[in-house]
Amino acid sequence: MPIRLREQALTAAPRCEKDGGFPMRAGRAARRPRKLIGGPIRGGRGRRLLAAACAAAGLTVLAAACGPASGATSGGTVHPTDTSTVTYALQPTTQATYIFPFVAASKPGADFSVYNVNDFQYLMYRPLYWFGTGVKPLINPDLSLAYPPTYSGNQVTIRLKPTYKWSNGESVTAQDVVFWMNMMAAEDALGNGYIGSSPGGLPGEVSNVRAVSQYVVTMTINGAFSQDWFKNNQLSQITPMPMAWDVTGPNQQPGQGHCATNVASCDAVYKYLDQQASSVSSYGTSKLWGVVDGPWKVQSLDSQGNLTMLFNDKYSGPVAPHHITKLIEVPFTTEGAEYNVLQDPTGSQVLDVGYLPTVDAPVPPAGASVGSNPSSLLNYSLSAVYPWEIAYFPYNFNNPTVGPIFKQLYFRQAFQDLVDQEGVINGPLHGYGKAGIGPVADYPVTGYLSPQLARGGDPWALNIPEAKSLLNLHGWHLPAGGGPLVCTNPGSGPRQCGQGVAAGTPLKFSFIYASGQDFMESAARELASNASLAGMQVELTPEPFDSVVGSAFDPKNHSWQLAEWGAWTYDPDYLPTGETLFATNSANNAGGYSDPTNDADINATLQARTPAAFNQAMYKWQNYLAGQLPVVYMPIRPVLNEVIKGLDIGVQNSALMITPEMWFYRQ
Amino acid sequence: MTAYVSRRGLQAVVVLLIVTLIVFGLLSLAPGNPAAASLGLSSAHETFLSGYLTWLRRVVEGNLGFSARLNVSVTSLLTASLPRTLVLTGVSTVLALVIAIPVGLLQAVRRGTATDHVLRGLTILCYGMPAVVLGSVLVLFLAVDPPHIFGAEGPQAPGIAAVITDVRDMTLPVCTLTLVTVGIFARYMRSAALDALSQDYVDAARARGAGERRVVGAHVLRNSLVPVVTLLGLSLPQIVGGAVLVEGLFNIKGMGWQLWQAALRHDVPVTLGFTLVVAVAAVLGSLLADVAYAFLDPRVRHALP
Repeated sequence: MPIRLREQALTAAPRCEKDGGFPMRAGRAARRPRKLIGGPIRGGRGRRLLAAACAAAGLTVLAAACGPASGATSGGTVHPTDTSTVTYALQPTTQATYIFPFVAASKPGADFSVYNVNDFQYLMYRPLYWFGTGVKPLINPDLSLAYPPTYSGNQVTIRLKPTYKWSNGESVTAQDVVFWMNMMAAEDALGNGYIGSSPGGLPGEVSNVRAVSQYVVTMTINGAFSQDWFKNNQLSQITPMPMAWDVTGPNQQPGQGHCATNVASCDAVYKYLDQQASSVSSYGTSKLWGVVDGPWKVQSLDSQGNLTMLFNDKYSGPVAPHHITKLIEVPFTTEGAEYNVLQDPTGSQVLDVGYLPTVDAPVPPAGASVGSNPSSLLNYSLSAVYPWEIAYFPYNFNNPTVGPIFKQLYFRQAFQDLVDQEGVINGPLHGYGKAGIGPVADYPVTGYLSPQLARGGDPWALNIPEAKSLLNLHGWHLPAGGGPLVCTNPGSGPRQCGQGVAAGTPLKFSFIYASGQDFMESAARELASNASLAGMQVELTPEPFDSVVGSAFDPKNHSWQLAEWGAWTYDPDYLPTGETLFATNSANNAGGYSDPTNDADINATLQARTPAAFNQAMYKWQNYLAGQLPVVYMPIRPVLNEVIKGLDIGVQNSALMITPEMWFYRQ
Repeated sequence: MTAYVSRRGLQAVVVLLIVTLIVFGLLSLAPGNPAAASLGLSSAHETFLSGYLTWLRRVVEGNLGFSARLNVSVTSLLTASLPRTLVLTGVSTVLALVIAIPVGLLQAVRRGTATDHVLRGLTILCYGMPAVVLGSVLVLFLAVDPPHIFGAEGPQAPGIAAVITDVRDMTLPVCTLTLVTVGIFARYMRSAALDALSQDYVDAARARGAGERRVVGAHVLRNSLVPVVTLLGLSLPQIVGGAVLVEGLFNIKGMGWQLWQAALRHDVPVTLGFTLVVAVAAVLGSLLADVAYAFLDPRVRHALP
């Protein structure tokens, strides 16, 4: 199933292969320059020659100083004059890139990230089930296109709400759901699939998908699976598609592509739609993409990522009484640039909704979830939202050089000992963060987290001596000529380096990480430093987020060794059962972790038929896997939202869905 | 002169071909197939040379390729990025020259005096100051703090006209780049002017009774400009290629920023297309500098066939 990966504080979804899908969210990228304390630089004053030279520059400065400021300001305080528009800051180096709401393995991972799906596609094309009730990642019945599914044995029945309409006047029908299901089945058969073959996963494990009436879809699950899991992790992926898209050419009638009725016809439709989505500049004028069932339509999107969306007057879902009618999404090069703009209330574009880089955030008081705003942002309200996610980075167990080392549990324990999560939280995260210790997020609070892991505390807190001791104990020692530790006692015995590790193998690793996030850079540098103290050499290479994700989730790419992009948001696999991230051969299992006990535990969670059985299976699975350290756990961190005073955006949910049609300016 | 320019133009074309071949070759060392990446999956079977020739043919036809990562054509990305960068670096270079030439000249004329020492200190300070540091300071005091004289980010409106007219937002990035550039030009100018002041023709002019203003203005200044012109010619790629850090700081998605990001994310079509444009600027800059030599220095002009 797909998940979204996020950069910075969001998640993004990597691509899905035939064997699996995955969502993750991608975060920001790009470093921000630190704000400096000091006096302004004063120009020297000369005589005639210099004065003449300065005149030109001075004129420019004067002209600028006297020029009109476009922001509506008074004494540095912003008063929104246009209460119909919201300007929304995107994460650095991210932008909307793809409008077709269908995940295909051939597309770049960035197309499936939070900023492209949640902040763009979902605003126009609603998922069948909308997750996010308050802060919790639960189904929101008001915003879902269908009522909760019902089950009769292995038959699932989905009843759509007859009230939802496409902007061309047609109803959102059962056939629209089947259209999506058929396309996924077709693309999956071509090895270009959407989700994958995790147990019970769509499309392979369902059959008889039928529109039995205008608003009722039925399908049969080919196995015994948890109903909650099927709803939260499988049906959650479906985005109904209008019949206007079931075409293979520009002048065809809706449905003429026959994908909604015949899987074999879907590939041609997919190719046409993908081709139509290949130019972002056409999104605003395209009749095809103008058919939406969501509350927003694209007015314009340029190559630089500047996106303007207008409210869809024909939207049939709930809206706020005096909601905004225009949403402008603004891309940024760095989070520092965004922060500068946030602090400038007279700029050409005053941000209504932005974010505060954690490195610039005042440390919150002990026990408080959020601290004060910087003095330059008194016109904004600060809130901290912990996404429904875990933060980690994977080992590449398939790397021929270092994979055998990563497969040794003692090594993973030693490596996790080198991660100073508290240091990262108290350092670059300025107190905003929670240590990650297992595969299930502990924020927001849900019943999915085992009591054992819910007790908190980091059992792998920074302990360099213990890391060194573990390595020495297993045959790793300093070579005579210096350098990183090398294996001096190969073999698979209890005090040996481990199976597949040859004598003389050095503890030397390459580590790619997403650029642009100050906290991530700091954490990576500190980890490399700690590793050197333990006798390891970690070579750091920053890369753009989608480049890191592209490498990490490419099952054919065995060259990377350690790769960090940020976090994995459980979206749209809202139930954190682990089959997407940790099951053997799952496409989202970056690095190829494999453990038969873990696989069996995961299957038990998927097949639990009662809440009690599900909880028992969940706890058993996560308690075991937390100790196996299949990935390097990192601190989860909140999104620090800055919302201009006067604007009400409600409660942001942990699934990071946004609903601008519910935003309004208080009078 | 015409033959000279024609010959240099022909050389420039050859240089461009070599540059593109080298870039295409370097990209081929990266994971993946540059031909496939820049021309589409259908070209995956092509050899290096045929892939290069196909890419070159399309470039000649005006097709720089398509970025699958951004879902935009390279041309549209270039069209959006180039105006911002041209205005940013072009204006800052002109301003830097306008400031640096008189400063360097003044330093040379008053060599060893307090004026020289102070100006030297200032120019070295400008030269040594990282652009990001300087820009952050300017943003902090002139944009973030009241009365918010300038914008904290560069112009965001599309098109070169919008960029030029948005003086308020363009001022800080231009000033940042100007200040870090002015030190280089001033140092060159001072050195060249000192050299010119020691030449016989200066003594001869003075012996003929020319006033100091005429000596400096008519003899020293013109001859001192030759090395500055060299530097200016070499700066043209930077003018087109952009100043990555300044663009990043001021949220300007210009040429430099886009090229850097494309290289990091292995976006071959964008990397190739943007590199080609920068290479054209480099060759053009060198050509223009050569022509300017001939204009400024009669000895060069008379030596031409």
